[in-house]
Amino acid sequence: MTAAPYVSLAGMSKSFVGVKALKDVNFDVRPGEVHALLGENGAGKSTLIKMMSGLYSPDAGTITVDGKEVKFASTRDASAAGIATVYQELLLFPELTVAENVFLGNYPRKPGGWIDWSEVRARTRALLDQLDTFDLDVDAKVLTLSVAQRQRVEIAKALSKNARILIMDEPTASLVESDVQRLMAVVRQLRERGVGIVYVSHRMPEIFALADRVTVLRDGGYVGTRDIGEVDEAQLVSMMVGRSIDSLFPKADAAIGDTVLEVKNLNHGRHVQDISFSLRRGEILGVAGLVGSGRTELALTLFGMTPATSGEIALEGRTVSITSPRQARDLGIAYVPEDRGQQGLVKQMAIRKNVSMASIERFSSGIFIKAGEEAQRALDAVKRLRVRCRNIGQPVGELSGGNQQKVVIAKWLETNPKVLILDEPTRGVDVGAKAEIHTIMGELVKQGVAILMISSELPEVLGMSDRILVISGGRLTGEIDRADATPERVGMAMTMHQSGEAA
Amino acid sequence: MNWKSLLRHETFLALLLVAVLIVLSFQSDRFFTVSNLLNQGRLMTEIGLIAIAMTFVIATGGIDLSVGSILGLTAILTGVFWQKLGLPLPAAAAGAIAVGTFAGFANGAIITRFSVPPLIATLATLALYRGLAEGISQARSVRGYPDWFYVLGQGEVLGVPTQLWILAAAAIIASIILAYTRWGRTVYAIGSNEVASRFSGLSVEKTKLALYTASGFAAALAGVIFVSRVSTTRSDMGTGIELDAITAVVLGGTSIFGGRGTIAGTMIGLCLIQALKNGLSLAGVKGDGTIMLIGAVLILAILASNLFERSGTR
Repeated sequence: MTAAPYVSLAGMSKSFVGVKALKDVNFDVRPGEVHALLGENGAGKSTLIKMMSGLYSPDAGTITVDGKEVKFASTRDASAAGIATVYQELLLFPELTVAENVFLGNYPRKPGGWIDWSEVRARTRALLDQLDTFDLDVDAKVLTLSVAQRQRVEIAKALSKNARILIMDEPTASLVESDVQRLMAVVRQLRERGVGIVYVSHRMPEIFALADRVTVLRDGGYVGTRDIGEVDEAQLVSMMVGRSIDSLFPKADAAIGDTVLEVKNLNHGRHVQDISFSLRRGEILGVAGLVGSGRTELALTLFGMTPATSGEIALEGRTVSITSPRQARDLGIAYVPEDRGQQGLVKQMAIRKNVSMASIERFSSGIFIKAGEEAQRALDAVKRLRVRCRNIGQPVGELSGGNQQKVVIAKWLETNPKVLILDEPTRGVDVGAKAEIHTIMGELVKQGVAILMISSELPEVLGMSDRILVISGGRLTGEIDRADATPERVGMAMTMHQSGEAA
Repeated sequence: MNWKSLLRHETFLALLLVAVLIVLSFQSDRFFTVSNLLNQGRLMTEIGLIAIAMTFVIATGGIDLSVGSILGLTAILTGVFWQKLGLPLPAAAAGAIAVGTFAGFANGAIITRFSVPPLIATLATLALYRGLAEGISQARSVRGYPDWFYVLGQGEVLGVPTQLWILAAAAIIASIILAYTRWGRTVYAIGSNEVASRFSGLSVEKTKLALYTASGFAAALAGVIFVSRVSTTRSDMGTGIELDAITAVVLGGTSIFGGRGTIAGTMIGLCLIQALKNGLSLAGVKGDGTIMLIGAVLILAILASNLFERSGTR
């Protein structure tokens, strides 16, 4: 454990147009250790990673590799020094094969400069086998692979360049549970082989299962580095947010009223089959299910994006047919989508314009937008939901994940929804903002909004919901009250086959 | 992101226009005269009307290549409706404009109903509408319109060419719509992120349909003005005008990927192109040279504005 660090960074600072993104941060990685990097969004993790991988050059501070001070002018320099990065959004070429991607840019050559394709394929095979990935075809096009498989290809690519240090930026953010386990096995195996791993993640269980040491950043500053044995989860969270969060899931007790939404035998394609449920005023109804089970498809059908092919939807006792998001909105159904960047926000546009987007008619007299009122409502929303931003004219793309999510929620609250569908409301959101979003949900149900919350995170579903629907293979496989909900019961229903038998 | 950064490209372009006007007025003493400038205004009206509608279309991330053909079709139909069918000329022109508008609507319907990319859809109708125009005209031109009709294209109102009033009104109305109304907001939102716009309950399809219809209407109106200006009707009228209009729009700072652009920018871009064309020909530069220079100005303007953008935001 006391091997000399392979890479160490000392006194790293970086600012962007006058804003300090990172001030005086120290960080090092030893061979054969997993060093977790923790911090809320905007804490400076990405900036630090990007300096380590040669994407940004620091304003101050030194980088030492293997005892020698170095300066990275480009990612090429960093990669030559044995530092490779697997980014959150994977940077592979979908139209090329696995083998072509792995060796892209440094193909082994035959005499005369021709690419030695059989060597490329053989070495790719060997690399994948080292990662226990025997089931992946080296000739498969990357676009046919799952996220988990692509990640494996990225790791193989890093190893092909003899990486001594592998930086993994939220590698499990978009993986399902079984793939997470597999990835963790791969990480452990790399550690055994002496690779130093920088592991960025929000998920505490993973950090405790994998990391040897953990470094916490907050607001661009260095908070501290600890051996994993010295700390517990509560301590890490308080290091991250600078205060202690009393309860991870502040479930507010709201008075549950009349039925708002009644769904009977709803169908759409393969992923929504014969779904029936009801949702009441002031209730949080959790929807659990594996990725691909049809949770999001159910939401999209209720929201009119993929209109139902059969079945009945009743809002406050009145049967309605919903054929477009616009109509759903007019009926009082709001949907905060899973993919914030693509579906939730227009990132180039200002906060003000995003907040008013779903209710623009309300901010208009005739066809003219009432700019003053729009600005006022955006200011109120920013204040109420505690969106951290420079001003309401700031493009939402510049905000951190949690604050972006608050803007999406603010947009839909402007429509005064009766039913609010939240699809993965806290995915990619840091601990502090997550608690704030949960608090907002609590306030909303107190005001009588009915919430349908889809989440992959079981603790969130169990912690926030009054009742839980479980979906598997497009069908409802369980409806469990808060009092009876245990991880085992919900987990069982999640893996239940359509026949009703447990898998 | 505020007024300053939005206006940066337009400001740069306006300065460039002033510089070009000064240089050209030294090249030829016939250039910077009231009568010449007004006459140039007359010449750029047709492209201008099309470019205004095109600004909206491009700001949603679309494009309309068929406008030149719609212009030609409308011109032919005006003549045919009047001479062959014996309709009164105002009715003939209105009928032709209705057909041109419908042609635009058809573009929009193809694009929104069948999700055909706008480039492909309007490339196809570019050929289709031109073919129709040629088929209907049978290569014969229509002449001999009554004198009052020429007021539109050759006459003056209060000392200013008639059609320039139309262009000015269109530009003012369009810039108010784009900047201050929810329609304008919807246009920018669609151009920036169509998926999120749809997820926000904006009527993406209706908006697009309306824009392509408006583009057809603008081209049709330009067609009638064209006929009045040149006193005749031919089926090859407006060939290539789509490229002039797109050049003006893009030069004016509208992003070809959508989400950004102003009518003011388009109008400045339009004036810049027209000033270069006219000034250089007065200075004795040949047509080929002028086209090359316009190409070079386009590239330089885009490069310069990209440079500003980068230094401005990051």
